[in-house]
Amino acid sequence: MTKTESDQWAEAAGLDRGSRREMLARMGTGLGMLGLAGVLSDIGLLAADTAATNPLSPRRPHFAPKAERVIHIYLNGGPSQVDTFDPKPMLTKYGGKKLPEGHLSTERPTGAALASPFRFRRRGASGIEVSEIFEKTAAHIDDMCVVRSMYANTPNHEQSMRLMNCGDERLPRPSFGSWLTYGLGSENQNLPGFIAMCPGLPVADVSNWRSAFLPGIYQGTYINTKRTKVDELIENIENPSLSHPEQRRQLDLLAHLNRRHQKRRVDDAALEARIASFELAYRMQMAATDAFDVEQEPKSIRDLYGPGVQARQLLMARRLIERGVRFVQLYHGDVQPWDSHSNIEENHRKLGQACDQGIAALLTDLKQRGLLDDTLVLCGGEFGRTPAQELGQPGVGSDGRGRDHNHWGFSVWLAGGGVKGGYVHGATDDFGYRAVEKTVHVHDLHATMLHLLGFDHEGLTYRHAGRDFRFTDVYGEVVHDLIA
Amino acid sequence: MFDTARTFQGKGRLETNVGVFLLVVVRSSKGPRNSSLVVADESLVLVCARLSNNRRRDRSSVEDFTLILLSSRLSAPLLALMWATCWVVGYLASSAVAADPAVDDLFEKKIRPVLVKECYGCHSTDAKKVRGGLRLDTREAIRIGGDRGPAVVPGDVGASLLIKALRYDELEMPPTGQLSPLVIADFEAWVKNGAPDPRDGTEPATGGIDFEAAGEHWAYQPIEESPLPSVQDVDWSVNRVDRYILAALEAAELSPSPSADRRTLIRRVYFDLIGLPPTFEEVQAFVRDTVPTAYESVVDRLLQSPHYGERWGRHWLDVARYADTKDLVLLYGKDAIRPFAYTYRDYIIRSFNEDTPFDRLVHEQLAADQLAAQDPHFERWRLAAMGFLTLGRMFDNNPHDIYDDRIDVVSRGFLGLTVSCARCHDHKYDAIPTDDYYSLYGVFASSVKPFELPLIADPDEVAGGAEFEAKAQPLRDELVAYVEKHHTEIVETARSRVTDYLVKVATEKPDPLDEAVFFMSLSPGQLKPKMVARWRRYLQRRSQSDDPVFGPWGELMALPESDLERRAPEVIAHWQSIETGTQIGQLNPLVKDALASATIAKGTDIAQLYGSLLKKLYEGTKGKEEAELDGAQAQLLAVLTSQHSPFFFPKSLTYLYLTRVFRDKYHKQLLELDKLAVNSEGVPPRAMVLNDAAEVYNPRVFIRGDPARLGAPVDRQFLRVLSSAERQPFRGGSGRLDLARAITSSGNALTARVLANRIWMHHLGEPLVTTPSDFGVRSDPPSHPELLDYLAWKLIASKWSLKSLHREIVLSRTYQQESFDRPAARERDRGNRLLWRAHRRRLDLESMRDSLLAISGRLDRTQYGRPVDIAGDPENRRRTIYGIVDRQNLPGLFRAFDFANPDQSVARRPETTVPQQALFALNSEFMVTQARSLAALEELSADSVDERIAAFYRRVLTRDPDHEEVAAARSFVTQVSTSAGEGSETVLTAWEQFAQVLLATNELMFVD
Repeated sequence: MTKTESDQWAEAAGLDRGSRREMLARMGTGLGMLGLAGVLSDIGLLAADTAATNPLSPRRPHFAPKAERVIHIYLNGGPSQVDTFDPKPMLTKYGGKKLPEGHLSTERPTGAALASPFRFRRRGASGIEVSEIFEKTAAHIDDMCVVRSMYANTPNHEQSMRLMNCGDERLPRPSFGSWLTYGLGSENQNLPGFIAMCPGLPVADVSNWRSAFLPGIYQGTYINTKRTKVDELIENIENPSLSHPEQRRQLDLLAHLNRRHQKRRVDDAALEARIASFELAYRMQMAATDAFDVEQEPKSIRDLYGPGVQARQLLMARRLIERGVRFVQLYHGDVQPWDSHSNIEENHRKLGQACDQGIAALLTDLKQRGLLDDTLVLCGGEFGRTPAQELGQPGVGSDGRGRDHNHWGFSVWLAGGGVKGGYVHGATDDFGYRAVEKTVHVHDLHATMLHLLGFDHEGLTYRHAGRDFRFTDVYGEVVHDLIA
Repeated sequence: MFDTARTFQGKGRLETNVGVFLLVVVRSSKGPRNSSLVVADESLVLVCARLSNNRRRDRSSVEDFTLILLSSRLSAPLLALMWATCWVVGYLASSAVAADPAVDDLFEKKIRPVLVKECYGCHSTDAKKVRGGLRLDTREAIRIGGDRGPAVVPGDVGASLLIKALRYDELEMPPTGQLSPLVIADFEAWVKNGAPDPRDGTEPATGGIDFEAAGEHWAYQPIEESPLPSVQDVDWSVNRVDRYILAALEAAELSPSPSADRRTLIRRVYFDLIGLPPTFEEVQAFVRDTVPTAYESVVDRLLQSPHYGERWGRHWLDVARYADTKDLVLLYGKDAIRPFAYTYRDYIIRSFNEDTPFDRLVHEQLAADQLAAQDPHFERWRLAAMGFLTLGRMFDNNPHDIYDDRIDVVSRGFLGLTVSCARCHDHKYDAIPTDDYYSLYGVFASSVKPFELPLIADPDEVAGGAEFEAKAQPLRDELVAYVEKHHTEIVETARSRVTDYLVKVATEKPDPLDEAVFFMSLSPGQLKPKMVARWRRYLQRRSQSDDPVFGPWGELMALPESDLERRAPEVIAHWQSIETGTQIGQLNPLVKDALASATIAKGTDIAQLYGSLLKKLYEGTKGKEEAELDGAQAQLLAVLTSQHSPFFFPKSLTYLYLTRVFRDKYHKQLLELDKLAVNSEGVPPRAMVLNDAAEVYNPRVFIRGDPARLGAPVDRQFLRVLSSAERQPFRGGSGRLDLARAITSSGNALTARVLANRIWMHHLGEPLVTTPSDFGVRSDPPSHPELLDYLAWKLIASKWSLKSLHREIVLSRTYQQESFDRPAARERDRGNRLLWRAHRRRLDLESMRDSLLAISGRLDRTQYGRPVDIAGDPENRRRTIYGIVDRQNLPGLFRAFDFANPDQSVARRPETTVPQQALFALNSEFMVTQARSLAALEELSADSVDERIAAFYRRVLTRDPDHEEVAAARSFVTQVSTSAGEGSETVLTAWEQFAQVLLATNELMFVD
């Protein structure tokens, strides 16, 4: 990292000399030598040797944050708003008939109105209507902030996935988690700061959690939760031959040799940093396997989350968050599971059954541990689905009982981290096609989330190729209505 | 509704009388910001030329201005239908309004308060963010307007966008809810009365770049052989580099450090020049060699080593954002490999080894195809140079982003200028207007990838090559035939449905997705949205009163639907009186005849009339030679068949028009071809070239980077700030070779400076200019300006030989200093910017892995060829530069060790220290394998423990251990037992564990 860039993230994080000094004080209490070396060089006490800068040491945002970390439950593929969080009586009324107005073009040709086959009920004190797909999750409706007026740019998965994750549809831009770990560092030096989990790989795969022009260390660490063995989850986390005590002896010799080498080179923080990184790595081996090992949870907790891979990764998410990981993202599954072009009734029902209990359990669990207050939970897809049925096309595969992609209007919900619970924001038109009231673009959602995390979204920047880039590019407005 | 013709005439007068310039922009459908390719349409430019002639524009009065005139008469209802409006953007100089207290009163009482309350939040200087580029807080601002044009046109309610917005007609402002009809009526009255506006306040001049001032920037100044500074210590310097460094040190009351010892020096220069460590024997030989030229000999030997190109070529590959893979979705592992990407990597290595002059490298990377066409002796392998342009990301096949990527890699890579910043607006800091961006855009939009890449080796010279080609050729032919067939079918179908297209354009509002269709699934029977969008623009341009074909269309469409039946006959009658002919101002006789017998009752009738006329003619003249047609027929037919027809699209873009099923099949077939080339043996290499398009693209500015919003046309030409006053448009086809020559011309100082700075950075560890790919005004000036200029000068003087420059630098005493600390010096220059010592450096990914392989005796020194899996295969022994660079899924190994992000050009890698690196050293299979191999080496199998320890030290650290080190090692290998996995394959002996420790030491991983 060049000096200017390392300065940048110190500045971006609002670190003046005073607060860095304060961080120095915290060093003694457990952040370890690596962090120390980083900070020392940051404040110029050591030679400006940039290799020593620890890019993950914790930093402060621009102002007091309401949320310290994020869990993004990504229902990839595009869950249908009119079948989940955005009931539309008019759609039921017109079911099977041509929509009188508001029919919009999407990726594929669509036909008559398709009434939602799902039952909606008023839930909680707020009385917000939620469909049976999220029956259990909806028990938390009074903690949830449902945005019914989301919109994006394009009815296509790859572009919209990247927009949701990286703030741009095609250009290589850093993901939200990368920006956040760049801005805030991580509270746990023994774990990656940003973890993306998926049983399989979502469409657009790594680009969803890439760091792009930010240093590679900010890229999301991808965990394939199809694998169940804990030591297979992170690369090089265990030595194939040596036990920990054996490795300790190796490390002791290495440290001895490195210290001797260092004697004539004490001024070089990079040498010290590398020495420290071995100690960290050694501890990380234990910490990481521990964090992913859901078997350590009591049975009551495991039962609360229920069976299946969704439950397992949701529980992992809580364990990671609890340990100070900054951003955890969980994809529902391989490619785009929520992409119900056909038979939405059966497909959406199954998808809901796979994750509803786990999501509800996560909210319960975060709340009972006091973590929900400063953990921001986001749940939704990259776009929604058309209120009209998708027409069958030869060779493309729709049975006329599904819905096409719809970026004109869709729903997401937020919980915890300073958002307004039991609140519905905005609305789509009568049929649920287009966001029309208090519309929230994906960039606005990003700006708002950054705000909750203590950042002015226009101020969290990184200079690259002559420009100060930011997550929201040149867009984004904080939606203050979403904030408690 | 409004009459733009009238507006125009008014301004036309202004123009000639006062010299006010007009920049008129036709804005077509309201596409999303990032939409797809707009096929060039020259007729637009013709229209401009025609209009300028008609108006006998007085050039002398406007020569100071960029002037484009376009489109005079646009029929309002048609425009309303199309959301397409003609707006005047420009600077109406001091349009004085007579001060009238009564009207001023209206403004103060009724207008200003509303503006302040409802609009200023987003549309004033004080707005947190000015929306749509529109400010309403001064008289000038409100009349200049924003992105869409003037908000207020005094006296013309219909042309005033502000009024349209208040009426919620196309635009809806304020967004929070429509204002009351009374308020809107006030605004209408105000505009009708000439929009008197007492507010003053000047606007920043448009086209605000002061090129003369910008030209003063240090980086653009001509390179001169810097004068040699005088120094106090006259004996220290061995060459000119030293003089500049020493002078700066002395000025800061510093002195240089002593030279490094021989072992340190040879290790440093080995890693620096070839990326590999010297062996113990090589170190010993150098230590013992007392000939004064010993060091020079080592340097020369290394510069001649074939490994030199692998080291320095890799530095360039970072800049070239080299990757081996396609970034398509759902494509993993080998399936993602571009079969011939490696030929670019090999070209770079070989060219560096041959010390190809850098100016030639520039020319070849941009235009090897054009050079080859001019030179019968051009070596074919050099065609691979163009991978520089073609190996970027694919951006979901969005051409605008692909061109942008090329502009970026060329401008930052060669010039150290961030031209891409000017895609949406003039560069905020540097003198790069959007015009310049689109000049370069035109170069790349005029270049296409040939369907079949050229062979760079004869198939007969490659073992199995002829067999492979015999297998692949039919598949390629099949695909070509597939594209041809569909291209023909799509065009034929479209022409036969011309009426459907016209009806759609005449009756439906534009769909914003029309322009964004490159990723949409098309169904059979659907009108092609891109064609619909082009028809809209096309008709909009041609609906002018003097157009011999679409003149009547424009006037008829301008009539309100309710009035159409009643007033159409009078319009038709008028047209029947126009002279027939095919010239501007005449009426095409075929159109005239069709009109004569027409009854027009509704808008679709007009579309039907034109549609059936065109279709009938097309079908009636099928099979006829062009010579058999008369002028009128040819003119009409061109609407459907010329390159400017909305139905025209190049064959290479056929995939954008295929229906979903066919498109999927096409992409699958392409993929299969690539897979075949990746997975077969004996595949003859090909070069990933570009060629000039059959039809060059004449660029226009995209307003705010939006391809649906065309601005002024620009020439394909070089950047203004780097050109002389006599800047000429590029003439050679796309202009790639012209561009390359401009980049290396003696008039442009940036290329040599940028290159010299990068070379210095790689040798010394820190650059002279801290932002190696940004030499713009925001960059820090060089730490040693004279040295930088000397190096740049030297580079050019030695005919762009990199090796000459390497020699000069590494032979300097500056380079040979030791790296140890001197607290007193550090006190004065903490960052060692003045180079009072050498920078200690950590091995990068390639040097680290290659060294480990070399030390463990496993390095496979095979050069060139298809990429190999080094991250996934711990057994792989090739040099790291030959490893697959998977852009879409860069392996953890690459990321953890700060590999250059291959998304975009990288001049300098980040340097981080993270536990993932240590985990690799501790646990990776690769590391364990090296440790095992090292311990098993014959030369390390001494009889005594102490001798064996010494042998390990010599092998790994190229020195003998001291007593304490021997003791520590002895204690380790005797106390540590073989690892617990005894009996299994994963067992590690004590010596193997010791080997791993030595391979992980800081002493090995850092270069003093």
